[in-house]
Amino acid sequence: MSWQTYVDEHLMCDIEGHAGLRLSSAAIMGHDGSIWAQSSAFPALKPDEITGIQTDFNEPGHLAPTGLFIAGTKYMVIQGEPNAVIRGKKGSGGITIKKTGQAMVFGLYEEPVTPGQCNMVVERLADYLIDQGL
Amino acid sequence: MEPAVVDAGSGILKFNHALPEYGPEVIPTQMKQVPEDESSTDASLLENVIVDPVVRGFIRDWDAMEDLLSHVLYTGLGWEIGNEGQILFTDPLATPKAVREQLVQMMFEKFNISGFFASEQAVLSLYAVGRISGCTVDIGHGKMDIASVIEGAVQHISSRRFEIGGLDLTNLFAQELRKSNPLVNFSISDVEKLKERYASCAEDDAAYQKIQQACPEEQHTLPDGQVIKIGRERYTVGEALFQPSILGLELHGIVEQLVRCISTVSSENHRQLLENTVLCGGSASMTGFEDRFQKEASLSSSAIRPCLVKPPEYMPDNLSKYSAWVGGAILAKVVFPQNQHVTKADYDETGPSIVHRKCF
Repeated sequence: MSWQTYVDEHLMCDIEGHAGLRLSSAAIMGHDGSIWAQSSAFPALKPDEITGIQTDFNEPGHLAPTGLFIAGTKYMVIQGEPNAVIRGKKGSGGITIKKTGQAMVFGLYEEPVTPGQCNMVVERLADYLIDQGL
Repeated sequence: MEPAVVDAGSGILKFNHALPEYGPEVIPTQMKQVPEDESSTDASLLENVIVDPVVRGFIRDWDAMEDLLSHVLYTGLGWEIGNEGQILFTDPLATPKAVREQLVQMMFEKFNISGFFASEQAVLSLYAVGRISGCTVDIGHGKMDIASVIEGAVQHISSRRFEIGGLDLTNLFAQELRKSNPLVNFSISDVEKLKERYASCAEDDAAYQKIQQACPEEQHTLPDGQVIKIGRERYTVGEALFQPSILGLELHGIVEQLVRCISTVSSENHRQLLENTVLCGGSASMTGFEDRFQKEASLSSSAIRPCLVKPPEYMPDNLSKYSAWVGGAILAKVVFPQNQHVTKADYDETGPSIVHRKCF
């Protein structure tokens, strides 16, 4: 399985029970920010944004005062899981980022996808990767 | 069947079906442990042990909580075994993950419910007054939370929890009453009732100083017939929240704490937060508390003054005592029909940690 297949079939898939409902974009990248695979609409992250995300995983609470920036768009940091998950919200949409052993899984969603559904999709794949040692 | 909404506090447990107009049923959370062996008929040996399942806001005694909840759900709400419905719980600020997971586990495994959702009390209190952003000052029996919420998400960095609450105010009241009525024996439940009836807040600091020197005394007859005098002690209790040094704690007063918490949020949100302040919790319904809060707020050091939110007219009058429950009832009507809650299938697939993913 190539990384692109992971993104296309397991992140950009229909959310179970709701045909036609899916994340707006997703990606899997390494800890250093190198893109392993991404969906077509995934925005290009700037290097300092990637550094900010890495620092927040290592020191939880780093991004909360300033906000999480993705390609210049500001997301408000909400409750995540320290050293594991970063969650951000922007209006009725948002983002979930989960860190695995060697990668970070990103999922961005818009209305009518709910934060809970985005979490389920992103974290399920990330947990699978963690189990596989990736 | 309507989903059930349960707000388990340290002092009282609020529960009912999700009907915001009706308000919750209220029962005290404290339980008495009944000794199991019935062979000891000697009454003097039967010690009534008081059990507190909820301590300082968090569930500590899980067996007692299970007994309490089965009474509430099966007897109080009329659920039948085998046909359990959906339930929404409220969590205080900074609930440890383990506590949340254990609650979900207990609900799905012992009670076999079909759907679960949990939300933070601060967010729910704001929903009850029709806002999604603002700050809440929740003064409960066992704890006090100051939380800021932006668009339905609690900003944990700028929220603080204090381990003081109505319980400590009751103890203070008892202490003060014992000093001025040395010959009278008080029980804590009596003092609790006296506090709810008599405690008030002075109009401001200067008025409090005057009262400390001279205060009209009132006579009160306790249920066992003893007569006590209550004078300035009632104002001491009210003042304790604005000057925690009375309780022996080195903290700033409540309004100062609020302003400090808000200052850690980015400044574009300050106005939105401070102008939508909600007071909730039993102790916040003390006589004169709101007025004193407003007065202290106008003296506060921040550029934007905290302003209290007026609850909508269609809400019952004593909303501040039960606002977290009412908000829960409102949220339950939205979350369960839209299937955003944790279902039995989700729980079976993922386990208790699903509560962190789906409920916020």
